Amino acid sequence: MASLGSSSSSSTEYTVRVPKNTSKKYNIMAFNAGDKVNCSTWTHARMERDMSARKIYGEEETPEGAAGSEFGKKQREEARRKKYGIVTREFKLEDQPWILKVNGKAGKRFKGLKKGGVTENASYYIFTQCPDGAFEAFPVHGWYNFTPQAKHRTLTAEEAEEEWGRRNKVVNHFSIMLQRRLREQERGDEDEEESEKAGKKKKKSGGRGGDLRIHDLEDDLDMSSDDSDNSMGDDGESKAKKSDVGKGKAKKKRKGSDKEALEDSDDGDYEGLEVDYMSDESSSEEEPENPKGKPNKEEDLPKGIDEASESEEESEEEKQNEDEVKEEEEEEEGKKTPAQMEKKKKKDSSGESDSSDDSDIEGDTASALFMKKRTPPKRAGGRGSAGSSRTGSRPGTPSIDTAATSNTLRAAANKLELGKRQTQGPGTDSPAAKRLKMEPSSQSPAPSGKSTPQPPSGKSTPSSSDVQLTEEAVRRYLIRKPMTTKDLLKKFQTKRTGLSSEKTVNVLAQILKRLNPERKNVNDKMHFYLTE
Amino acid sequence: MSERGEVNLAGAKQSKGVWLVKVPKYLAQQWDKATEKGEVGKISIGTKQGKSQVCFSLNEELTALGAVGEKDGPLQVPRDHPFTMNSVGGQTLAVFSLGVRDEISLEGMVVHKAECRPVVTDNYMKLKKVQMKESLKPQRLSQQLERAITTAFKPVANHNFNVEYEKKKKSEGKMVRAERQVVLDMLFAAFEKHQYYNIKDLVDITKQPVTYLKEIMRDIGTYNSKGAHKSTWELKPEYRHYQSADEGEDMQTA
Repeated sequence: MASLGSSSSSSTEYTVRVPKNTSKKYNIMAFNAGDKVNCSTWTHARMERDMSARKIYGEEETPEGAAGSEFGKKQREEARRKKYGIVTREFKLEDQPWILKVNGKAGKRFKGLKKGGVTENASYYIFTQCPDGAFEAFPVHGWYNFTPQAKHRTLTAEEAEEEWGRRNKVVNHFSIMLQRRLREQERGDEDEEESEKAGKKKKKSGGRGGDLRIHDLEDDLDMSSDDSDNSMGDDGESKAKKSDVGKGKAKKKRKGSDKEALEDSDDGDYEGLEVDYMSDESSSEEEPENPKGKPNKEEDLPKGIDEASESEEESEEEKQNEDEVKEEEEEEEGKKTPAQMEKKKKKDSSGESDSSDDSDIEGDTASALFMKKRTPPKRAGGRGSAGSSRTGSRPGTPSIDTAATSNTLRAAANKLELGKRQTQGPGTDSPAAKRLKMEPSSQSPAPSGKSTPQPPSGKSTPSSSDVQLTEEAVRRYLIRKPMTTKDLLKKFQTKRTGLSSEKTVNVLAQILKRLNPERKNVNDKMHFYLTE
Repeated sequence: MSERGEVNLAGAKQSKGVWLVKVPKYLAQQWDKATEKGEVGKISIGTKQGKSQVCFSLNEELTALGAVGEKDGPLQVPRDHPFTMNSVGGQTLAVFSLGVRDEISLEGMVVHKAECRPVVTDNYMKLKKVQMKESLKPQRLSQQLERAITTAFKPVANHNFNVEYEKKKKSEGKMVRAERQVVLDMLFAAFEKHQYYNIKDLVDITKQPVTYLKEIMRDIGTYNSKGAHKSTWELKPEYRHYQSADEGEDMQTA
């Protein structure tokens, strides 16, 4: 169509044609202006689709027929997919990115990603002018944004993170890529050792970051100083320094790890830590720490046993409250131990006195031993820590007032002794019929007739009591086997009876007065027993 | 379909400059209705006060929204569309085409970007109103039915499917134990085709009762309870050689 005559405003008209034969599909290739792409300079170019996504979308290839295949596998897989509603996106060739290679191998590479949504709301047309002056309009089918692809090596994410951590220390950034390249080379020829010393050193110092290492031993500190390359030396030094720090830290950490699991050191841990260059110094730093560590360990052992014993006892007797008394009993034990005899074998005594709970005995033994060991050096501290160790396993336990209770108990013990000597009260014959522990106030106190103020309280029914502090109960115990006052007290735990420790002591003292059991000395300990 | 193509750089060499024009949808639709020759309108390029002004005017016959040729349709597409010219600033745009047999050729470089805008008239506004109403309609519509559907989901004593199934079962009868050798032959033939079989599938193939079949399978095969082919039976190693699956298998008589 020839150009028609222009109107007044000097315009020329051209016909626009939209060809119908759409054999060719037009697409836009968009480059960023900054890349300065000039298509006219291209000598030759190749473009193909990027098929790397096909593996993701492709199904796993299971062998069809014969070995390895399963009958009806496909149908089952399909049924399974339908059941779970798994919709897999198909691999559309149209939407795959392009790879454009310009000027052969040495030239540039571009990756073209399809831009979505181009043809949705508006259509793009390419207007080209034909030789006859008319315009031809072709619709655009797709728009691809092409970006140049880096040919140089880049760091992977992990490596990048590492280098980020070292950014303050590494001065020479060029060496980063160099080392990486060398590392790759090393991996490439696994068996061949690089003969060059420099190469080796570079490898090692470079390889530090790459491979997982438990310790940061740098044998090549000397080597780094030999290196004539200053920048390398600097880098090596800085790394060596850091590694020394790391080594010192690692050693300490390894010690700590014997006890407990410590977290791995982050990069930031090393910052600000001033450690000298030589490795000897770092060990000297560790020593001050060790003595501190040792007493703790020592403390641990007795604590451990005590805790174990405590836990055993507790688990058996299911006690939660009134730990005071428990501790007081322990205290009492401890007190009586030094009070009565020095080298006392609690084990035997407990063995005789208490047959019911074996673990009790062991607990007693251990705790007694522990008490004995502890009380000389640090009394209050030991008690306090013992208490705290126990409280550790039992939450919410109040700490003990050691002095006050010990006085009370000592007084109680003395009172008992005195009571024995002075009064020979009539042995009470409790009614043989009622021997049950669980029975509340209908017990022996009534027949005993010695109404003392405390007994009623002692006979009051606690909410969950298995043991009543009654004369009957005490009789039973003493008949069975000889017991010390301690053992008796242990039998009537305040949680069970509902009495306070003082009252327990008093009531027990009175009962004993009434019963007037016979005594005998077993292993230098005063045991009471009754014979019926 | 591999599209490995040498790119035909003829267009680039010639540095053919093209225009990239953004055209409204309705206009594009009208252009699709064009005749064989493909003429859709005219473009007039003029210079007014130094700036070039381009205007496109649609051909008369394409203005009707309805079928081509109808001119007294309710709405008409506006005819005049001035172009807004932009520069190709931040991008270097090239045009390439994909041929039928995956030939890639570079057609040219974009020198101007343009937007085709209609002249806003009442007519155009009406057109837009209609368009908007169309687009506001939801794709899915809930419709209330006046009468309940009685053709489907009637309560039924026994579904057709079930009835057929039972009939089939009765007609087939119980599975009879065939000779052991016969069954073995069937099994080996099956295992030639695939390595792993579910017991149900084997029952289907051999038409033997399950217990009998299991007995035989225990003889010649193993059961995979774990792994990729879970709960499937396969032949014992001595019975299979899948490399040359077509030759006879070793068969140890039980």
